[in-house]
Formats: sequence, C-alpha cells, structure tokens
Amino acid sequence: MNLLSALRGAVSSLFLAAALAAAPTPALAQSAYEAALPPELGTSPALCDYVPCAEVLPGATSFSERKGRPPYVEAYAEENGQRKLVGYVMLSTDITDTPAYSGKPVVTLIGMNTEGRFVGVKILKHSEPILLLGIPESALVAFNNQYLGKFVGDNIEIGRSRPDEGIIGLDAISGATVTVIAQNQVMMTSGAAVGRQVGILEPTVRPQARFVDGGRTLDWAALVAEGAVRNLKVMPEQVGLQRSTTPFIDLWFGYLNHPEIGRSILGEAGWRALMARLAEGEHALFVIRTGGNESFKGSGFVRGGIYDRVQIRQGQDAFTFRDLDYLNLYGVNAAGAPAFNESAIFIVRSPAFSGAFPWKFIFLGNRVDRETGARTFVNFDTEYWLADRHLEGGRPEVIKPDAPWVKVWKSRALEIGLFAALLVAVAVVYANRDALTRRSTRKNKWPVNAFKYSFWVISIGFVGFGLLAQPSITQVLTWFHSLLFHWQWELFLTDPFIFLFWIFIILTTFVWGRGLFCGWMCPFGSLSELIYKVAGAIGLKRFQFALPMKWHNRLKWIKYFVFFALLAVSVFSMGLAEMLAEVEPFKTTFLVGMFNRAWPYTLFVAVLLGLSIFIERPFCKYLCPLGASLAMPSTFRWFGLKRKQECNSCKACAVGCGSLAIDEHGRIDHRECMHCLDCMILYTDEHACPPLAQERKRRTKAGLPLTPIGQDGYYIPIKPVPAAKA
Amino acid sequence: MIDPRSMTEPVTPPYGGGGPLARLGAEIWDHLWPWSRDGFQRQRALQAAGLALALAATLVWVLAAMGTQLAPGAIIGWWFGWSVFEVAVRLGAKPYVKEGPWWGRRYRKASVMDMVCYVGFKNLLIGAALFLALKSFGLVQV
Repeated sequence: MNLLSALRGAVSSLFLAAALAAAPTPALAQSAYEAALPPELGTSPALCDYVPCAEVLPGATSFSERKGRPPYVEAYAEENGQRKLVGYVMLSTDITDTPAYSGKPVVTLIGMNTEGRFVGVKILKHSEPILLLGIPESALVAFNNQYLGKFVGDNIEIGRSRPDEGIIGLDAISGATVTVIAQNQVMMTSGAAVGRQVGILEPTVRPQARFVDGGRTLDWAALVAEGAVRNLKVMPEQVGLQRSTTPFIDLWFGYLNHPEIGRSILGEAGWRALMARLAEGEHALFVIRTGGNESFKGSGFVRGGIYDRVQIRQGQDAFTFRDLDYLNLYGVNAAGAPAFNESAIFIVRSPAFSGAFPWKFIFLGNRVDRETGARTFVNFDTEYWLADRHLEGGRPEVIKPDAPWVKVWKSRALEIGLFAALLVAVAVVYANRDALTRRSTRKNKWPVNAFKYSFWVISIGFVGFGLLAQPSITQVLTWFHSLLFHWQWELFLTDPFIFLFWIFIILTTFVWGRGLFCGWMCPFGSLSELIYKVAGAIGLKRFQFALPMKWHNRLKWIKYFVFFALLAVSVFSMGLAEMLAEVEPFKTTFLVGMFNRAWPYTLFVAVLLGLSIFIERPFCKYLCPLGASLAMPSTFRWFGLKRKQECNSCKACAVGCGSLAIDEHGRIDHRECMHCLDCMILYTDEHACPPLAQERKRRTKAGLPLTPIGQDGYYIPIKPVPAAKA
Repeated sequence: MIDPRSMTEPVTPPYGGGGPLARLGAEIWDHLWPWSRDGFQRQRALQAAGLALALAATLVWVLAAMGTQLAPGAIIGWWFGWSVFEVAVRLGAKPYVKEGPWWGRRYRKASVMDMVCYVGFKNLLIGAALFLALKSFGLVQV
C-alpha cells in the first residue's frame, strides 16, 4: 500500500512538474491548490500561530486562543494602551465540513467584526481542479470579496438580488457554480455559528411543546419504535481509523421532558425529581454509550469547562453543555434497555430550544489523515423529533431550508424546463428520422437539416454560451471515480443541465449511438460544423477538404489514446487529469470565454475553429476524448443506420459522408458516425440511390407502377395476384 | 461478398440456434467465461500466461475475502491487466460480438476495437459491482 502510494505520488509529482513547467502562468507557486497546511491547524488552541489571522481582520494585533463550540478566535487591537475586542476569526473547517466540487472542503479563514460584518476572507487550501488552470484562483478570491461589509445575518444567495424577498445576490463564477454554492454555505454557516455564540445573532424563539401524556410506561423496544430514543453510531473508518466491526462510539439518546419518555427511562420518582430541578424553559436529555471505547464526555474535561464532544442543534441554534448542565444517570428503567458503560443527563438551559421541533444530537469528532497525521473537524448527527402522538395537535409544521441543489433547481426551473423540453424534442425528431429522410432528397435536405441546424444554433447559443452546459470528459472521470470511491448524488444534481444532459447522452448512446449527441447537440461540435457549413456557403467550399481515408483511419485512434491516457492519469491524480483535459477546448470556448484565458488556450481554440473552416469537425474526429468515451459503447447501440447489399459496390453515400464513417465496402462505423443522416436521405431517394434509380427507370420503361419504398430501402415488390374467378 | 449491413462478417455462435432461454443462459455464460475449447487448443502460450494470471488474480481475491486490505490502485491494476488479457483470449476463443439490441440474435465477427469496447465496458460494470461489494463488506478501504 505504501509502495503504491509512493509510486502514485512520484508519478503525480512527475506529471505535475512537467505540466507546471509547461504552464504559462508563473503564479502557481502561491496557489492554495492542495496547499500543505500545518497538522496542528485543526487542533492547536493557538490557531493564529499557524495562519495569518491579521490578514482577515485588519487592525487586529493580538488574538485569543480557540474558544467556544464550534471554535473561534477573538481578535484584539491596541487602543490607548488598552486591548479592545475588534472581531472574531474562524476557520471554516472548525465549523462545517461542507464539501465543494472536489468532494473536499475549501479551507477558509474568515474575519468578522463585532457588528457581525465580514471584514476578511482568505482561502488557505482548496482541491478544486477547475481553479487550478481552468479558472484563475483570483476568481474565487474576487467571489469571496463580495462578502466584505455584508452582515452575517443577511440572506445571501448566489444569483441575482431580490430586494422584495430580502435576498442579497452574489455573482457566481462561470463554470464553477458548485464551488461557489458550497463556499456560500461555508461562509454563512461559519458566520452564523460564531455570530450566535457571541450574541450578534439572536437565537430563534420557538413555542414550547405541549405534551400528550397517556400514562404509558414504555419498554426500550417501544421507545425505539416510536423514535423516542434514537441511536448515533460512528465507525472507526469514519474518523480515519482502521476499519473495524467495533464502533468508534455507539450512543443512544432521548428527550426526557416528555412524561411518557421520562418515566420510561428514569422511573416515576426519578423523572419527577428531575423535572423538579428544571426551571421553566429548561430541557433534559439522556445519553448512554453502548459501544466503543471513546468517551462522549471527553477525557480532557475539566470542571467549569464545556463538554466538547457533544452538542445539540435546532435550526441554526447550537446548544452546548457546561459542567453545571450535567447530571449523573445511574440506570435506565425501561425494560430491555442495552447495557452501557457511560451515561449522562444533559440540561439545555435556553428558551430558544423547544421539544416540539426537530433537533439534532451531534457528536463532534476529528478525522485523522493517516498519511499526514493531520486532524480535520467532522461531526456526526442524528435527528430527533417527538412523534405526533407525543405532542398536542401533532408535530408543528416545519419548513426546512432547501438543500443547495434543490435551490438551484428551483431558481432555474424555467431554464431547466426549456432544456429538458429541448432534449425530448431532439430525441423525438431523431426517432422520426425515417419520415424526415423520406421527405428529403439529395438536392433538398431541408426537412432534416431545418431541425438539425436549429438544434445546432440552440445548442451553441442557449446550451453552450447560455447555460454553460457543455459536457466534458472531466465529468466522465469524476463519475468513474465517484462510482469507485464516494458517490454523492448532490455533487451531480447541483448542475441540473449537465445532469439532464448526461441522462440524455447515456440513453441516446445506447439506443442510437453517440452520433445524436455529438452530431446534433454538442455545443462545440455544433459550433465546429456550423463554421464549416457557413464557410462553404460563403464561397470557401473550394478550399474545404477531407483527409484521405488512409490517414483518417490512422488519426481517428488518437482520440481513444487521449481518453485512455486521461483515464490512466486520473487514477494517479484527478487534479492532473483535469489539467490535461484542457485538450478539450470547451472550457475556453464556453465556460470561461476565449478572451478571459491565457493566450495558449485561446490560440488552441482558434486553431481548432480555424481548421473547422476547411475540415469538417477536426476536433471531434481526431482529438475529442469525450467522443471516444461515447464511441466505445456506441459499438453496441441498439438501432443503427440502414444499408442495402448494393452499398458494398456503390460509393454514393461514402463519397458524401462528412464523418468519413463509411468504408470502402459501404459499411457504417457507428463509432465514427455523427448521424448527419445524409446517407439515409439517399437511401430512399429514388433519383439518387443507384439501385433505386435503376429500378425506377426499369419500372417506368415497363409501364409498371412505382410502389412505395419499404423499410429495406427497395420499392415494395409487385406481386401479381391471380384474377378472382367470376 | 461483403454484407454492408454488418460492420464485420456475420457469425453464428455455437448456441445461435437455441431457444430464447437457452440463448440467454449461454450469453450470460459467454460474458463471464472468455475461454473455449477451440481457442484453448490454438492459444496455448497465451493460455499458460492466462492461467498464471488467473491464479494470481484468484489469490488476490481470496486474500481480499479473508480480510486483507487491498489498495484501490492494485484493484484497478488487476482490472486493467485482466481486461487486456481477456481481449486477447476472446479474440482467439470467442471472436464475436452482438450486433444490435441485446434481445436480438445477430452476431458478427469482432475486430480488435470491437473486443476492446466489449471487454472494457463489460468489465467496467463487473469490476464496479465487485469493487462496491468489497467496499460494502469493508474489505477495501478508500
């Protein structure tokens, strides 16, 4: 394993060094991409000894140690010889482990003044490949700068501002939507968590629960079945330790204020004694540990301190426990309760908490990176909500905030609807290709081309430049890795257009082959062929040519080589594979913009599009790794294009095949075919298809009727029927 | 005479004439078992190397089943190596692929690229299923 890691590291370093040496931008040395952070960063009380806190809190000259749960640092300035609190500094990964596009969090240092306004943001480390070369890292810095001066309690979202709804919009980064949505969540969650602890944000006031007491005393199984007692289990591998069947920690917890639950757990007398100790608006919950050796109270707990391994959260409000909030729990009364080796009763002393609403019991842990020994904050939680039968009037209505991907789908519902309709329309049109090709002739291909050209224009303008929905080989690599390592639906759902596009691509590739996507809907492919067609139409046709088949048949393998090379590199380093995926000009053309990138990228796109004036789709035919990845399953498409036996000697279709997909024997290579349908138009054109034209002439000369052309591409045979006897 | 309706010449596999269920069973067997008696006779050197490879691969999987941790890189390496070997074996032993929908009964001679596409895609699915199974049983850690 170590040998493999070392080998992988060495190969990655080699590739990375080579790529960086060739890279045009010299500023990568200061990049935060996979920056090495001190291992103590996640655990040392003196946070600001390891990171530049003063950079995010201008004017601050000294900083406290980490305090609070989740942790933050107080920042002080000297004023008239006295120390004055000027704000707070927080490390995002102390507060939330929200992953960005790479699946890893963007480690961010955030400064907030005492009024709750963001005053500084610094990216310490990120793993976003698109920010490595595709989009300059400065774009993320500029994005973060939009938070400066904004209040932590503001309703800040990605997209346009909606003053009537009280929403402040932030400009996204084109092509890095997932990254900025995650970053917004990180900023707002971190700011709010600290803002609530230091009193900048008021806790939410919730109406207190009114319990239904049926006088029942429940056994453990019934308590579990009703959700009155819930379980939180953390396995060793979840905190970076060696996988084991023994849990790292296995906890059961429940809410004791409810009479039926409290009586069942503590017994009548015990519960009454507990309730007698609680003041109005105070709440009790019990916790027992039934598995694992890790203490939930914490081995380093000191009198007067905070229990730093457990807390509860209701909405945005977090509740921690001090020593005075702790009571001993000596036993569990409920019949069938499991044996336990650690227990506690914790008191929530805040009117902001209500037993009527859902809350989460949280175990706060550290994940250890086994290679570096670095620890990162991670939390594990289980939701708890009293059942309807426990509450007068049942559970209150709770509107939970939408997940980020749901917000994206809702905010772009119209565009998503239009895009989905477009994809359905393309599939329906292509499914009816037989009707369209029969209406077309070699001289008039408009019944097919009107649709195809329309889809090209829509694909370039609406899909490519408008929605930035250009599928890419990097998505194939990401899927491949996600499938093997850590599948997250949210990761893919956050970009609804790419998500829908891939459903379309997978389905149509298996049914018809890759040609429908590549030939009709790929924004770059459409742009490339449109340039070729326009160039031909404006008089450059005499300069246009196709490579000889001999050369085409050699060069077409390059794209497969590129694909396999990217796949192999991605096993060693996904970041490097993403860098090398710049062989696709998509990012430069649509996502970032040709004139927003370093000149080598722009030149590359310009050369490819310039070549497209003279050669039909040079990139698609010879270089596109995405096309190669789709060509391979196209071998097994269900429905291909039609051929006649005479096609083996007739060259009419082959001569006109822009994709060079028809060989000298008249066979169509569906891996190379772009589904232009020109050969299908000829297939039923009785004036252009030689076998049909021959038969047409024969029948005309013989005075025989011209029957319709059948599915096999021939006139339906005339079978004389014996005259009926009179 | 070359039939332009098929990318390569049509072929009928040994089970081509059977009923639908027998054919389905034979096809599943075909997907999982790349060897054939004829191919074995013709590719002795390759088969010897294959046996060694198969033994090594089996040993790795047995180790995995016994609880030995496997690195993802090693598994992907095995998967790739096995796929290359399978392409070579199939081209000698079962040199055909299906043409058209999976429920159809048209087969054709496989070119090298056809076989690469077939084996690559099939093993990707089988490999992913095995990998996920190993992961869910805790035998591979990522």
